[in-house]
Amino acid sequence: MSTENQPSGPARESKRSGPLVRIVRWMENLGETGFAYFLLTPVFLVLGTIALYPLLRTFELSLYTNVLSDPEFVGLENYVQLFTGEADANLPGTTTFLPGGVTTSGSFPFVHIEGVLRSALIVTLVFTVVSVFFETIIGFGQALVLDQDFRGRRWVRAAIIIPWAIPIVIQGMIFYLMFHPDTGFLVDYLGPLGIIAQNNTLNDPASSLLIVTVADIWKTTAFMALLILAGLQSIDRNLYEVARVAGASRWQQFKMITLPLVLPALGIAILFRTIDAMRVYGLIDSVSGCSTVPSLSCMVVMTFNNSRGLASAIAFVTAALIGLLVTVVIYQQYKEGL
Amino acid sequence: MATTDQSSTEQETTGQPSSEPEGGPLERWAQSLVTNKDKRDRLYKLLFYVAAGFFLVTTLFPFYWLLVLALTPNSQIIGGDWGVPIPFVGTEIPFPHPQGFNVHAFVEVFQQVPFHLYVFNSFVLATATTIIVLAIASLAGYVFGRLDFPGRGPLMLAVLVVSYFPPAAFLVPLFDAFLGNAIVVPFVGWELISAPRLVNTPGSMIMPFSALFLPLAIFILTTFYAQIPDGLEDAARVEGTTRLGALFRVIMPLSAPGIATAAVLTFISVYNEYFFSSIMSLQNQPEQWSPLVGGILSYQDQYTTDFNLMAAASIIGVIPVVIIVILAQERIVSGLTAGALKE
Repeated sequence: MSTENQPSGPARESKRSGPLVRIVRWMENLGETGFAYFLLTPVFLVLGTIALYPLLRTFELSLYTNVLSDPEFVGLENYVQLFTGEADANLPGTTTFLPGGVTTSGSFPFVHIEGVLRSALIVTLVFTVVSVFFETIIGFGQALVLDQDFRGRRWVRAAIIIPWAIPIVIQGMIFYLMFHPDTGFLVDYLGPLGIIAQNNTLNDPASSLLIVTVADIWKTTAFMALLILAGLQSIDRNLYEVARVAGASRWQQFKMITLPLVLPALGIAILFRTIDAMRVYGLIDSVSGCSTVPSLSCMVVMTFNNSRGLASAIAFVTAALIGLLVTVVIYQQYKEGL
Repeated sequence: MATTDQSSTEQETTGQPSSEPEGGPLERWAQSLVTNKDKRDRLYKLLFYVAAGFFLVTTLFPFYWLLVLALTPNSQIIGGDWGVPIPFVGTEIPFPHPQGFNVHAFVEVFQQVPFHLYVFNSFVLATATTIIVLAIASLAGYVFGRLDFPGRGPLMLAVLVVSYFPPAAFLVPLFDAFLGNAIVVPFVGWELISAPRLVNTPGSMIMPFSALFLPLAIFILTTFYAQIPDGLEDAARVEGTTRLGALFRVIMPLSAPGIATAAVLTFISVYNEYFFSSIMSLQNQPEQWSPLVGGILSYQDQYTTDFNLMAAASIIGVIPVVIIVILAQERIVSGLTAGALKE
C-alpha cells in the first residue's frame, strides 16, 4: 500500500517530539484493552450524553409534577393517573378510539388500563401487529421473486427498495393525497364499500389507522424482503439438487428446505420491524395528525410542552415496552453466543 | 401457491397418473399439471411473472399517482373525476391519469415556499451527520471487529440496545437541554453546565441523529473490518507502522466498500428522519435549519389546497434518494443485511 514511506516512518517519528508525537507514542504503549477503550471513547461520549442521559432523566422527570420550574417529587403518581384515566383531561387524543365494546372500561385483557393511554396502547399494538404480519408475508413473496435469476432483476429490486428509501414525510404525503376526500380517487372506490369513511376520511380514527398501516406496509416491506432474501441466498443450492433427485415437489422443497433454513433470518427481521413499528410517529403525524390516531410516541410529542411529568411517564412506558422486546433479542443473541 | 399445493397433494394421493377424464375442467387441468412437467413449469413461470408484476405495480403506483397530481392543474384536482375509463381487454376500467400537462407546478413549488432552502438544509444535516458518524464508527468498528478485549460482548450489546430505544424516550431531556436549560445529573440533582440554546440550529438535529444512526454504522463497519485477513495488518505492523497507521493506511482503504455502505445508509437515514427534524426546528422555517420535513409540512399546514404543489414537492424530494438507490443499490442491500443479520 504505502511501502515507500514505511522505512522512513518510524525513524522520523523517533527523532521528532511534540504533543502529537507524544500522544501517538503513548497510544502505542497502551495494552490492547487500553487501546480498545481509548478508541471507543467517542462512542461512549455520544451515546452517553445523547442516549443514556436522556433515558435516565426521562425516568426521573416522570416522577415529578408537570410544572417546568422546581417540580415536586410525586413518586409514581403520574403513572397511576395515566393508567387510571385521571390524566385524560391533560391528554390530547381520543378515548373512544375503536368503535363498539373495545373501549368499554375493563374489557381490556390482562391489564386494567383506562382512558387515553389505553387507546394509544391499542393503536400502537394493532398497528405493529397488523403491519408486521403483512410485511412478513409480502416480504417473503418479494424475496422469493428476487431469489430467481431473470433479466431485469436489478431493476425490480431497485423498484422494491425505493419505497423503503424515501423520506417518511413524503410517504405520509403520498397517502395523505391518495386518501384525501378532495383528491384521492381511492376514497371514491373504497368509501362506498364501507372500508373507509367517505367524508373526512383522514379525521376518522379507524379509517386513518387502516391507511397508516397500509402506508407502513408499502414502505417497509422492502426491509423484510431484503433480510429474507439474504437468508434465502445463504442456503446451499445443492440441497435442492438432492431434493429434486429424491423426487420432492416444489412445495415440499419449500416446506422442508427453504422455510426451516430461512427461519432464523426471518425471526430477526420480524423482531427488528416490530421494535421499529412500535416507535411510529412521523407517518401518523403527516397522514392524519397525531390526535386522530394517537400512538404512544405521538402522545409524548403532543404532551411534552405542557405536562412534562406525564409526557415523560408515557415515554418511559413506551421505552419499557420496547425494552421487553429488546430483552428477547438479547436472549437470542446470548443463546447464539455473541 | 394454492395451485402448487393442490398439484403436489394430488400427486401424493393419486400416485399413478390416471388418464380418465373425471370431474370438472378444473380437476382435469390440475390432473394434466401433475402428468405434464412442461405445463407445470409454465405455470410456475406464469405465477412468477404475475407476482413480479404485482410487486412492481404496488411499489411504483403511488409515485405515478404523485405525477398525475403534479401535472394536473389544481383547479381540476378538487372534486376531480379520477375514474377516467381506459379500454382494457375488451372492457373499460377506471384508471387515474393526468388531466392536463402543467409542468409549471414544478417551478411554482419553489416560488410558494423556499423549497430549495429546505432541501439544502437536509443535505447539510445529512452530510455533517454522516461525517461525524463515520469518524466515530470507523474507530469503534475497528475495535469491535479486530481487537479482542474483556467487555467486548457486553459493550456491543449496549450499543445495540441504545439503537432500539424510541426517540420519544430521549425527547423531553434533550429538548430541555437544547433550550439552554442546565443539564442535571439524574437522581443526584447536581447541575452541570447549561448548553447554549441549540434549538433552531443544526446542532440540535445533528446530535440526536448521530446517536440514533451511530449503532447501525458501527455494526456495518464491524462486519467489514472483521473480514480483512489478520496477515495484512500484521505485515504492516512488522514493517514498523504504528497501530493507528495500520488502521488508516491498511485497514480503512481495504474496507472502503464498508465505509461507503455505512455512509450511504447514514445519509439516507438522516434525509428520511422525521421525529427530531420536525421538532427541533420550532416553526419549520428554513432560516431555522428546518430540513425537507418542514418544507413538505408547510404545504400541508399553510397551503392546504395546493394539492398539485404538494405532489410536485414530494417528487422533487424523492429524486435524490431514487438516484442514490439506483447508483448504490448493492451497498444498501449489503449494508442492511450486514447491519441486521450479523449482530
